[in-house]
Amino acid sequence: MMSNWLTAAVCAAALVTVPMAAHAQDIVIAIGSEPTTLDPHAADDGGEKAVNDNVYETLMTRDADGNLDLGLAADWPMQIDPTTWEFTLRPGIRFHNGEPLNAEAVVFSVERMIDPDLNSEQLSYYSTLAGAEAVDELTVRILTSGPDPILPARMYYFMIAPPGASTHEDFAEAPVGTGPYRFVSWDRGSEIVLEANPDYWGDVPAIDGVTYRFIEESGTRLSALLAGEVDLITNLLPEFMEQVPQAASQRGLEHPIVILNADDGVTADVRVRQALNYAIDKEAMAAVLFEGAAQVEQGQLLGPTYFGFNPAITAYPYDPELARTLLEDAGALGEEITLVSTAGRWLKDREVTEVVAGFWQAAGMDVDVQIYEFDEYLTRLFDRETRAEAIFVVSGNELLDADRSFSAYYSMDGFGASNSFTELRDWIDQARTETDLPRRQALYHEAVAFAHEQAIMAWLLNINNIWGMSARLQWQPRVDGKMFVSTMSVTE
Amino acid sequence: MSRFVVHRLWQGVIVVFCVVVVVFVLTRLIGDPVRVMLPLEATADQRALFEAQLGLDRPIWEQFLVFVGDAVALDFGDSLWQRRPAMEIIAERLPATLILTFSAIGLAVVVAVPLGILAALKPEGLFDRVVVLVSLIGLSVPQFWLGLLFIVLFAVQLGWLPTSGRGGVEHVILPALTLAIPAMTRIIMVVRSTMMDELNRQYVKTLRAKGLLEWQVVGVHALRNAAVPVLTLCGWELIRALSGYTVVVETVFAWPGLGLTAIQAIERQDLILLQAIVFVTAIIVVAVNLILDIVYKAIDPRIELKAA
Repeated sequence: MMSNWLTAAVCAAALVTVPMAAHAQDIVIAIGSEPTTLDPHAADDGGEKAVNDNVYETLMTRDADGNLDLGLAADWPMQIDPTTWEFTLRPGIRFHNGEPLNAEAVVFSVERMIDPDLNSEQLSYYSTLAGAEAVDELTVRILTSGPDPILPARMYYFMIAPPGASTHEDFAEAPVGTGPYRFVSWDRGSEIVLEANPDYWGDVPAIDGVTYRFIEESGTRLSALLAGEVDLITNLLPEFMEQVPQAASQRGLEHPIVILNADDGVTADVRVRQALNYAIDKEAMAAVLFEGAAQVEQGQLLGPTYFGFNPAITAYPYDPELARTLLEDAGALGEEITLVSTAGRWLKDREVTEVVAGFWQAAGMDVDVQIYEFDEYLTRLFDRETRAEAIFVVSGNELLDADRSFSAYYSMDGFGASNSFTELRDWIDQARTETDLPRRQALYHEAVAFAHEQAIMAWLLNINNIWGMSARLQWQPRVDGKMFVSTMSVTE
Repeated sequence: MSRFVVHRLWQGVIVVFCVVVVVFVLTRLIGDPVRVMLPLEATADQRALFEAQLGLDRPIWEQFLVFVGDAVALDFGDSLWQRRPAMEIIAERLPATLILTFSAIGLAVVVAVPLGILAALKPEGLFDRVVVLVSLIGLSVPQFWLGLLFIVLFAVQLGWLPTSGRGGVEHVILPALTLAIPAMTRIIMVVRSTMMDELNRQYVKTLRAKGLLEWQVVGVHALRNAAVPVLTLCGWELIRALSGYTVVVETVFAWPGLGLTAIQAIERQDLILLQAIVFVTAIIVVAVNLILDIVYKAIDPRIELKAA
């Protein structure tokens, strides 16, 4: 009994050490959380995406800067009527199990995603999806419930699965896609292994195999990199960028903001809201709190490559004197302002909140910082009846389109908005279904300018994603944070 | 004896039931899993649909009846977070926690008992003072920090052991050591003081006067009498480790055990998985206690195992 256990342990030890030495072109990536499932349609989960982004493919893709590009689609989709988008597929592509990638697979994937029985956590990204129909082998029409100009952007996240394999019982444990890597094994709690797909339709990737390890604690992830056990770690803390062999930092999708209450309390006065923007030194925050791994948010809750970005609008400059004058004019000096926040949910959420409170205090407000456990914090964020003057939140925009953030935080009907500007809501509602792109762009430009003028929030930063890399790994990170192993290589 | 076991088992069932009821009620009163699981930008309709799918829109008493019915059959339903049976997840994770805790407590006992005895032989002697001092340090160091220190020293600097993860024997050394140190120091303190008490007793003088060898006096007679409190502590340490004190160590070392899973279930408000973990943990605690009671009897026949 005892010797059996020992033998097993020794064998296991041997197994663990072999892959690291055997192949120079194999890499190990440490991610912060184990995928809950490898079903590409069920969960909204960073670990699942990290792995499946390499196994599955999407109709549309993006370049490293975030510009939309063609994926499995052979040509740009055409909107043949307001609620129908037609895609043509690249010919001759097969899933890892041999099933063909055709219109039927796309139709199947769409129907699977919106099937109430699947109860997908991803549905909020595909709220307009109504169905799909095959025209011929390689032509497919995707139907939306209303006009949806950003359907192509949504399709960047929509993974196409094979109808045959998807109905197998183990589909959630053994994914089958068309991507450059195919699934090898998943040892729950320890690792997932992928290998290069020799029949890949695109360029054959340089890395032969990749192992994902799950290390939640950031200090341990850093140690694993320093000890040479892994080649790439996610979410490196800014303060450790100097310690790792290579650090890569790239503008990410997260925008920390403070929603200001334009309806009630001392912040109902627009001068106070503007003053609260002028009072914050965003550049100092980026330089000191994030060690430079953050950009000043240009006052619009959008990155420069997002649809809707208004280049005419820039961040409120740091001007403490102007802030004080505005507060004085509004008779708000010394007034109390409640700042609601949470801790441990987003990178440096507590620190950012405290720094903001410090700047406001310095400008002459009496700031009451209230930091809640996440669930309790959500109660306050979602409560439209009694809203605090200021609520800290981090908005992530995976669709790189103004609609997602604006519907949530700008429009008075959004769950996180603290204003009653009907014109702002109307622009956002119109733009959501406006299929004429220049007109849609113009609507967002108007909304951005109005919201900026009204200072409906204090825009802070756009945080970079930071990766730690081994000396041999070569990789240029992307704005959407996706880790496509096919874009990596190792020197040696 | 068998009546005692039956009685204790019955008590155990009541304990487990109470614990599970408390967890059931608390988790449903405090959190809203739908809010936490869906993206912030999800609409109210999407939230309502998701809630209905999980059955969380039904009245709490109805949810409770369904839950009790399933629990009797050991079916806790599917984890909200991982979408597969909660018991399947526990079956995967429990062995890792058992390996870790038994190695850690085993290590603690093997090191602590001899040290405690040696320290007790010469109270206030140099060895005793060093042991007490080191124990106090070991007791005061936060486990989180200790774990990271071990990783930096033994894995990053010296490169002797892996930083984290599960694999062969070498993977278990650092986490087990980290988990063992606080337990080790507490056991040393208790062994030392109970042995000191025993060694001052009349019977020890009598035994020495009879000419017994010192190792017989200390190692057989005194140690046997000191064994019950020490065993109680060891059992308590085992229960403590199994019932959640592994959380910190498992997190630091990315050790895929039940403690790490429990904290993840809490973060994601996975009520179903959390209930199942609490249920299984409660059963383990009851079982360990029962086994300890029986071992007491074996060590000290004067202890009566009464049903009342």
